[in-house]
Amino acid sequence: MKTELTISIDAIDEAALVKRREIGDGMGAVVCFSGVVRGREGDASITAIDYEAHEEMARHQFGLIFDAIEQRWPVDSVRVVHRLGLVPVNEPSLWVEVTAAHRAEAFAACQFLIEEMKQKVPIWKKPLPA
Amino acid sequence: MIIAVQFWSYFADFAGCKKTEIEIENGTTLAKLHERVCEQFPKLAEAKNSTLKAVGVNYQDDEFMLSDGDEVSFFPPVQGG
Repeated sequence: MKTELTISIDAIDEAALVKRREIGDGMGAVVCFSGVVRGREGDASITAIDYEAHEEMARHQFGLIFDAIEQRWPVDSVRVVHRLGLVPVNEPSLWVEVTAAHRAEAFAACQFLIEEMKQKVPIWKKPLPA
Repeated sequence: MIIAVQFWSYFADFAGCKKTEIEIENGTTLAKLHERVCEQFPKLAEAKNSTLKAVGVNYQDDEFMLSDGDEVSFFPPVQGG
């Protein structure tokens, strides 16, 4: 399984990521997910979220999640981008792409990755009030 | 032995610093170090039950036996995405 992980303060360029997509022979499904900063956090309006990470540990924990996906589903590739620092409302903080032969494993692996990330990858957010 | 301790997210605000060093005796567990940290930084004691603990890049449980040079992180529940 091919994996690519980017953790960066740079804005996520979804068009560029899609342009670089490589689909292996026999792959019939590409699942993409963008996590976008909402304008509200609870009852409060916000302008942005400031993301912080224990980056070395985050990379290791993402690696463990990739390993778990590879053992569980016949997935061809996983690409993950997580942005750090200030991410304005309506901009993506997370981008995930999974390619597989069929949609079932692609959707399942994508959902698993995000759920596991929210439990184990040391990234935190601080909403900035409007 | 000396253990490097790091605090992440709002735990750094609670502690008033992002990192410190704590001297412990041989045979000290992660739980015992956590108790020492909570004594030294009382605001962290308020979040003790929800604290996540890692040594290096791996989560470890309370019984983990610390070694000289270990880097220990204490942080609140993660919130990626």
